[in-house]
Amino acid sequence: MTYQEFAKRAKDYAAQIGCASAELYYANGESFEVNANAGEIDRYSVSREAGVSVRVALNGKEGYAYTERIDDPEKLVDHAADNAKSIESEDDHPMQTKQTYQPVTRADSALKNKTESERIALAKKLEQACLALDPRVKRVVYCTAGYDSGAVVMENSLGLYAERSTNSSYLYVMPSVEDGLELQTGFAFRMGAEAADVEGCAKEAVEDALGKLGASPVDSGCYRVLLKPFAMGDLLSAFASMFSADEAQKGCSLLAGKEGQTIANPLITIWDDPFDPVAPRAFDGEGTPCVKKAVVEHGTLKTLLHNLKTAKKASVESTGNASRRSAASSVGIAPTVFRIEPGVLGFDALLRELGTGLVISELEGLHAGVDAVSGDFSLKAAGFLVENGAIVRPVSNITIAGNFVSLMKDVVAVGSDLRFGMPQGGYFGSPSILVSGLAVAGN
Amino acid sequence: MNPIGTTTTALVSEETALAVLREAQKSGADYAELFLEDNESTRIEMIDGKVESANFARISGAGVRVLLGTQSAYAYCADINEATLLETARAAAAALGEAKFAPNGEIRFVRKHFTTPVKQRFDTIGNADRVEVMRTGARVIKATSSEVTQAMVRYLDQVQRVTIANTDGVFVTDERPRTRIYLQAVAMNGTEAQTGYEGPGCCRGFETYRDVIDVEKYAVSAANMAVTMLHAPECPAGNLPVVIDGGFGGVIFHEACGHSLEATAVGRNNSVFSGKLGTKIAADCVSAVDDGTLPGEWGSINVDDEGGTPQRNLLIENGILKGYLIDKLGSRRMGMPSTGSSRRQGYMFAPTSRMTNTFICAGKDEDEEMISSMAEGLYAKKMGGGSVNPPTGEFNFSVSEGYWVKNGKIVSPVRGATLIGKGSEVLLKIDRVGKNMWMSPGMCGSLSGSVPTNVGQARIRVSGMTIGGKGGAIE
Repeated sequence: MTYQEFAKRAKDYAAQIGCASAELYYANGESFEVNANAGEIDRYSVSREAGVSVRVALNGKEGYAYTERIDDPEKLVDHAADNAKSIESEDDHPMQTKQTYQPVTRADSALKNKTESERIALAKKLEQACLALDPRVKRVVYCTAGYDSGAVVMENSLGLYAERSTNSSYLYVMPSVEDGLELQTGFAFRMGAEAADVEGCAKEAVEDALGKLGASPVDSGCYRVLLKPFAMGDLLSAFASMFSADEAQKGCSLLAGKEGQTIANPLITIWDDPFDPVAPRAFDGEGTPCVKKAVVEHGTLKTLLHNLKTAKKASVESTGNASRRSAASSVGIAPTVFRIEPGVLGFDALLRELGTGLVISELEGLHAGVDAVSGDFSLKAAGFLVENGAIVRPVSNITIAGNFVSLMKDVVAVGSDLRFGMPQGGYFGSPSILVSGLAVAGN
Repeated sequence: MNPIGTTTTALVSEETALAVLREAQKSGADYAELFLEDNESTRIEMIDGKVESANFARISGAGVRVLLGTQSAYAYCADINEATLLETARAAAAALGEAKFAPNGEIRFVRKHFTTPVKQRFDTIGNADRVEVMRTGARVIKATSSEVTQAMVRYLDQVQRVTIANTDGVFVTDERPRTRIYLQAVAMNGTEAQTGYEGPGCCRGFETYRDVIDVEKYAVSAANMAVTMLHAPECPAGNLPVVIDGGFGGVIFHEACGHSLEATAVGRNNSVFSGKLGTKIAADCVSAVDDGTLPGEWGSINVDDEGGTPQRNLLIENGILKGYLIDKLGSRRMGMPSTGSSRRQGYMFAPTSRMTNTFICAGKDEDEEMISSMAEGLYAKKMGGGSVNPPTGEFNFSVSEGYWVKNGKIVSPVRGATLIGKGSEVLLKIDRVGKNMWMSPGMCGSLSGSVPTNVGQARIRVSGMTIGGKGGAIE
């Protein structure tokens, strides 16, 4: 059965059993990934996938069902209708109607026009480049090149039709270095248009690893902290759900009802920018046209992120932030491309501004050591000790602890060095951020 | 656990499997394997006693893996008809080079069928049954304290049916039912909010909610955690002794040691424990096991994901490293036999060495004495999740319910604690292991995706760990 036949039969059957509306979300994709080890192909993976989700509205409730077998549309609709019948929440979750979208062009990523053997060669070259940079690089823990492409088609019985195709390329590497006394690992990645930058990626990863040699904890206490872009981006990602109107309406966000109020230092502006070249898109997970907006502007919370359900409940317009993590997921809320507006200070100026304190370059344990409801975090961290504006030595095996809402208010300076972290289900970017105090546990 | 004769429930015929394996070997692979999956799951979410969402998903596809020495290639596809399987086999084979010859070794399948004993199958119940269990949890969470402002309950059940065939002659089917209920309480007082949660799960049928999992007990526990933490000061920072309770406390072993014993790390010499077999890596009071054969446990498997037989693997005995967790590819790298430890989330992942039910074995120490003999430190009653970097062994995990101890007595609950350290150091610093071992379920993420694993231990004490927190001294 073709997908078109499947979609038509699903919509017809949904109408026949009394669904007020029915929507299909179809996603397909192909992927390639290779990992090089000791000059050989160590892991290699290729795939082709497709799946379809149906969502129905029945007696004012919605239900979902997903399948990767494009064979029995009626059964899938029955499953979704069954789920709709179980819903007790009174919230109305309307479906989007026919929309027009502004054209979005997304630059081809770097590995799109490369052959498979060229992509394999890139991974091998990345490993070699790391090993050649310094004799202390003994091994490469992993060294991966990948390319994905895919398409999404959304259509519903209210006239919505939206489709897009995307492709992405990436390169990442973890070299390990040894100096006879200890072992440290480093990490770097490149994505999108930069995904063929083997030399830059290798250099950054090796420098990251070498910079950690000789690291030790500092004494426990309260320190001024300069959070580098990846560390701050990770925190922003971990606490992004605070900006979700859904979490706010459920009573799970400290930002509920704070629109128009000061929630951060005036140095802080946060954009939700669906058209950022890092991952531009024209419509969200419900087919609502995307819009660029400041979520926080000079410290003031301008809006929470809405989908059609939360917008209706709050009597506002959707902000185009409906998300579907995959075709199998139901509609939620997520930022599109979320980034903190950079300032003007370079890294050396930030170090002088820091004076004496810590530079934190990486955080670990983000899936466990953060509580998005309370805003509290306590995380393993690594970086450098800074005295009088100069880096003294690397620091590891410490934790930093604080509260995200307090941290946003305690910002003292914002750097010019905006970078996006490795995408893990979303795109989060930040420059370096200097904060006046975080609790550090070490010796 | 129960081979049930030879009634066929396979997702592919033996003839097709054979054709696919032959196709996969055409570029010279010395091993090929076909994994097919048909996985049906239901997820329901309830907020404050009302069902908020209900979702059904059927995931279905197949993966073909080929090995040549220690090179591996994997191809997968969300379709399991014969033409697609052959195409997928060709895609995997192509990674090893041009087609060279028709493999001539004869493959004779030995069929095995496994199923997990279930009294009440998930396809015989409806959402109303599921919701009834959830409603009990939500009601009890709310009723436990007036400070609980919100109850969230998430429910999952899934049945993963797999067929695995390989050129070693394995042709095996398995049916793996799992269910889990996640109970979360939020307690609030004006400006502050704290959460408490429990997430029991089993590898059984729906009867588990009558026979094994006491939802009301877990709901009370989640609510109490939220309320206790709402009144807790922030945990002080420092390097002090830590008592870690049993159950999910075993996450310390999972992160500090377990991942570093997986062939993925050991086989490439990327583990602090590479080459340490037979040497002392932990205190004498520490013995540890990974056992995928425990009936009905969340991390148990009837057959591993390359068709191997799970077993009880002794990892550490009285402080001496005795074994690793090894899959087929790891076994080739390490020159050691596979330990039935090959796992994957589903057909979208090539399998690799993973944990199942992993725990520190019960010891001889008294629970009370561990705290009463401690001058100052932390009693970590409930743990959150954690992570590790295997090459360095540096790990971290969060404490979701902690208490501060002074002069042998608990003086206050504390919130926001994180524990960090190095696996090679912390294992040697364990100075007490209690007598009562139990396990708790979790989801473990690694190379081959997210797989259900149990962590476990009896109450233990570590003589010194870095405790992260932002609180001042507790008087």
